[in-house]
Amino acid sequence: MRILIVEDDLEAADAMARGLTEAGHECTRGADGQEGLTAARDGAFDVMVVDRMMPRMDGIQLVETLRREGDRTPVLFLSALGEVGDRVDGLQAGADDYLVKPYAFPELIARIQALARRHDTGSVQTLLKVGDLEMDLIGRSVQRAGKSVDLQPREFQLLEFLMRHAGQSVTRTMLLEKVWHYHFDPQTNVIDVHISRLRSKIDKGFDRPMLQTVRGAGYRLDA
Amino acid sequence: MRLPRIFRTTPFRLTLLFLALFTAAASLFLAYIYIATAGEATRRTDQDIRREMRSLVGVYDRAGVDAINQSLIERASSEKPFLYLLLTRDGRRISGSIEQSPVENFAGKPAWTTFQVTDIDAQGHPVKHPARGLQQKLSGGEVLFVGADAGEDEAYVTKIVHALQAAGLLVILLGLAGGVLVSRNVSRSMVSLIDVVERVRNGETGVRAHVRGARDEFDELAQGVNDMLDRLERSMAGHKHAGDAIAHDLRSPLTRLRARLEAAYIDVEAGKGNAEEALAQALDDTDGVLKTFGAVLSIARLQAAGQAPNPVIFDPAELAADISELYEPFCEEKDLEYASEITRDLSIRGNREFLAQALANLLDNAVKYTPAGGAIMLRVRRRSSGEVEFSVTDTGPGVPDEDRDRVIQRFVRLENSRNQPGAGLGLSLVAAVAEAHGGRLELSEGPGKVGEMGPGLRVAFILPRP
Repeated sequence: MRILIVEDDLEAADAMARGLTEAGHECTRGADGQEGLTAARDGAFDVMVVDRMMPRMDGIQLVETLRREGDRTPVLFLSALGEVGDRVDGLQAGADDYLVKPYAFPELIARIQALARRHDTGSVQTLLKVGDLEMDLIGRSVQRAGKSVDLQPREFQLLEFLMRHAGQSVTRTMLLEKVWHYHFDPQTNVIDVHISRLRSKIDKGFDRPMLQTVRGAGYRLDA
Repeated sequence: MRLPRIFRTTPFRLTLLFLALFTAAASLFLAYIYIATAGEATRRTDQDIRREMRSLVGVYDRAGVDAINQSLIERASSEKPFLYLLLTRDGRRISGSIEQSPVENFAGKPAWTTFQVTDIDAQGHPVKHPARGLQQKLSGGEVLFVGADAGEDEAYVTKIVHALQAAGLLVILLGLAGGVLVSRNVSRSMVSLIDVVERVRNGETGVRAHVRGARDEFDELAQGVNDMLDRLERSMAGHKHAGDAIAHDLRSPLTRLRARLEAAYIDVEAGKGNAEEALAQALDDTDGVLKTFGAVLSIARLQAAGQAPNPVIFDPAELAADISELYEPFCEEKDLEYASEITRDLSIRGNREFLAQALANLLDNAVKYTPAGGAIMLRVRRRSSGEVEFSVTDTGPGVPDEDRDRVIQRFVRLENSRNQPGAGLGLSLVAAVAEAHGGRLELSEGPGKVGEMGPGLRVAFILPRP
């Protein structure tokens, strides 16, 4: 994946680029908004990671400019400002996701992958399929290897999110944000219980478990 | 030259304006009085003259010049005689009580005139009186003048005019004096407020405007200024407290983290020991520090803003149901019985995100402190006061009465819960959210002691009616 990192904190950008390169991605860097804009106009990137506060041109201006020019490349905003209003501002400017600093590296990778995946599904799918697991989004039904799986509405949403990001790690924070729409970290791991219930419904009685726990990151649904 | 301050005040200027308006109104009123009294006197004199003239013309028409002369002689002896003059067709005097007609350029048509007559008063001094007269041509060609002394009426009119002048002057003086008094009074109140503003601008704290207790708009303004200053100073103190709190509560975990890293470094350098475990532990510690930091920041921001950002009106039942849905399985997993009792169709105004976080924190706390086999209950109801109350009741050890205020304070954790994980910020954040919504927290005892369980804790999160 080609990733553009626009970040004025060079050390943070270094660490990020190193980690992403090790994860097999190709990174280009811009040290401020202006450089970022030039780089974004030049190259085709799969995802852009943009710091919010930068000299010369801040992240909001950068994203707004790109969106005005018709550039739809997914943007992940990084910011030290984490309040509700700040997040809304960022998303309104045209960013696709918002990550508050400091973050854990697995969280960053998971979100970048989620963005890239979202970008390349152009057509509307009514049926999701991961391995022998099938979800009918209109009929609201789930089957594994032809056997019907009975899910609660929230479990259905949770599984839908996992299926849409099959093969990728998703973090607990991402699940809380995307499935429950809460933007705070609970002090307890409430998400784990929901995952284990879902796991018991889709993996029980099958030799190969699909729903994996990724240490230090979160969960992953494998085909 | 600059006018003294009192003359530059708004109330004084307003007084002048009102004074001008009042003077205009008074002038109209006085003019009416003048016309109704002095004008009336003149009209009466004229009427008398006209009647006398008609009577004399009648005498003349019946019996000629001699009859008029006879009549004039009789009339001249009356108590208050008119002034008479009879002239020939070419203007020579025939008879009369005055020598010469005061009417100049008589053209033959009846003509009114105002003139002066000279009289001798009791002391023998000549006195001039104003008089009115009517001159007209008789059918035989002679000219007759009839006049009347308007003296007494005129004196009456003069008195009225003087009285009116005095009244006008009094109005203006009283108005000015009133203006000065009002301005002095108003500006004393204003000056004290301006003084307070000035002192606050210069950085003084604790300055408050004087509220006189008159319950007027100045008191309202002074009270408003005082409330504003209270709020600002509280907010400033909040910021300072937040700074102190951050310094205090981040320093110890950071110190611990540093010590751990240092020990690991020494071990690794000496070639004994494995860095991996120390690093994993350090990462955990860092996450803890960040969580604390985030909570402190949220509390500080809420307290500084004094109100919740982006409030919306919504049904608390939806929020409670959502949160229940998130926590119920979690409680079951911990072998805690979870129940909820939610009143529908209430409405509250607030920031959904912060309120959700507050409820989540209350449930987190309940789960954390309630031993397996216990129970947790979430209730949403309307109080008789119209306030909406969320409450979380658990069957944990509870909080002793004397400690309840203290638990809400930032960072305070009860001695016997030191071994539980958590930064101790949960309830403080909940309290800050409640306060930012104009609400409050109430802690009370749970369902009581049952065997090993209890007495439990009931935390009520109370929001005002929207």
